[in-house]
Amino acid sequence: MQAKTKYKVEICCGTMCYIMGGADLHLLNDYLPAALRQLVSIEGAPCFGNCDTHEKIHPCVRINGVELPNASTRKIVDKLIILENNDLL
Amino acid sequence: MTYYNNAVITKRELLVRLIKLLDEDTLFEKIDRIPLEMRPRTNSPIRCCVHKDRAVIKYKIMALLGFNIADEQDELTPLSEYAVQAIKGYEQDGNFLTVVDEACSSCVQVNYTVSNLCQGCEGRPCQVNCPKDAIMVLNGKANIDHQKCVNCGICQKACPFHAIAYLPVPCEESCPVKAIRKNANGIEEIDFEKCIHCGKCMTACPFGAISGKSQILNLYYNIKHKQEKTVAMVAPAILSQFKANSSQIINAIKEIGFDEVVEVAEGANLTTDHETQELIERLNEGASFMTTSCCPSYIEFAEKHAPELKPFISDTPSPMGYTAQLARKRFPDHKTVFIGPCLAKRKEAYKNKDVDYVVTTEELGAMFGALKIDVNIKTDSNPDTVVRPESRGYAASGGVTNAIQAILSSEQQIKTELIDGLDKKSIRLLKSLPKKNALGADFYEVMACDGGCINGPVNIAPYKMSQSKLKQAINELKTVESVQ
Ligand code: FES
Repeated sequence: MQAKTKYKVEICCGTMCYIMGGADLHLLNDYLPAALRQLVSIEGAPCFGNCDTHEKIHPCVRINGVELPNASTRKIVDKLIILENNDLL
Repeated sequence: MTYYNNAVITKRELLVRLIKLLDEDTLFEKIDRIPLEMRPRTNSPIRCCVHKDRAVIKYKIMALLGFNIADEQDELTPLSEYAVQAIKGYEQDGNFLTVVDEACSSCVQVNYTVSNLCQGCEGRPCQVNCPKDAIMVLNGKANIDHQKCVNCGICQKACPFHAIAYLPVPCEESCPVKAIRKNANGIEEIDFEKCIHCGKCMTACPFGAISGKSQILNLYYNIKHKQEKTVAMVAPAILSQFKANSSQIINAIKEIGFDEVVEVAEGANLTTDHETQELIERLNEGASFMTTSCCPSYIEFAEKHAPELKPFISDTPSPMGYTAQLARKRFPDHKTVFIGPCLAKRKEAYKNKDVDYVVTTEELGAMFGALKIDVNIKTDSNPDTVVRPESRGYAASGGVTNAIQAILSSEQQIKTELIDGLDKKSIRLLKSLPKKNALGADFYEVMACDGGCINGPVNIAPYKMSQSKLKQAINELKTVESVQ
């Protein structure tokens, strides 16, 4: 069994998120700083159910259960760094 | 290659919105609201003001509906009027790209600019060497006169401080055949005497000012209202574009409402067989080499820029060509719809009466999105066993060569070479081949996109992911083979 990681990143694999830039998020692992890589697990998840709004929120991810709309690899990495830094304080 | 950027996302959002409205039967009433909804007053404008932003959206829609922006007669014509025509099918003129002039920011009028590294030196080599007398020194800093500058670049080379920077115009820079340049108003214009529909300018422009002309509304209207029966011809590259296996992707395509689905890889079986035979014959007859014929952008390149290459191009139909023949035979009263990652296929389809529609990966994704089709639904259907694994491999550079080598006997081995992407350098090489086959290969595989179709201009998945997904799609067939 794999040890539980500190940060769980769930990428919405629903179609809307996928076509609105979510496809690129699946390369997230390549962009994680080395120090974080061990601490993060990346998973695909079915549609978060955010599809019916008219607002522009795709693509969505969840980091430890908290949703991050309009995600990009940059944003996710930044968020993880903030979380980790806060934790070290 | 398409990098993820906001202009790409805007295009996809537009496609999704249009298909949604069409699906809800409210296209004509609501299409003119799209610019307002997408660019509300409350947001800070991307350009000078919200009205400009809305106009840009309007013209992007018009292009997607299949219209040349330049043909606009009356600026007050509402989108709904264009939409009425679009669902009937726009009149094709053989050119499938258009510049959305409203969106073109006419960026970078002159390719050279003096940065603040300029020391205002005494020698002033920039000024002294400028052949057009375009440089003036004002307040101790060199300035380039845009009226006089001819972009020769001598000043840049002459400056000992490297203070003069080269500013590319992304679309012009990306075009391998110099088919796009500014008109008198500074707006980009495509010269269709030269354009080979490779789509590189479209992916390069960060304003999203170059648009493909889509047939998607016409097609989806007919599917939804059961106006015609359709058969989807799915290019192997499509199987690399979603996070699902090939059976799931094909099922999702059926769910849109296509009556039948065939894999273009089935046609690729035939291309491989005929092209191999043709190659052997030609070499026996003393030809110095032969090139592939399946990349439509390369074909258009040869027609427009290197007619001397034409005798060396295989006469074998492309996988799309063969698949369309098969589809017509099997389903004579169906319309044929090619689904692929390529803009230039529109041109090939335009010349081939067996292909009725062309849909891009992005448009397919937009249909999935708008119609809420989940590609990841479980399925137990098995992959098509008539398709050879190598035929799916056509989607990546080197795939055609690999398929041909797989059926050659060991004594027939040939020397092959891959032209991976049309750019200035490979174009020079290609043009030199008829005179002197310098690389000495018998067979040249030519792909306009580096990496092949999986790196096409209208794809969704990033290239790296497409590579691994294509491998997976190929392996699915191998496991089926070994089970049998
Ligand atoms: S597809 Fe991501 S929220 Fe629905």
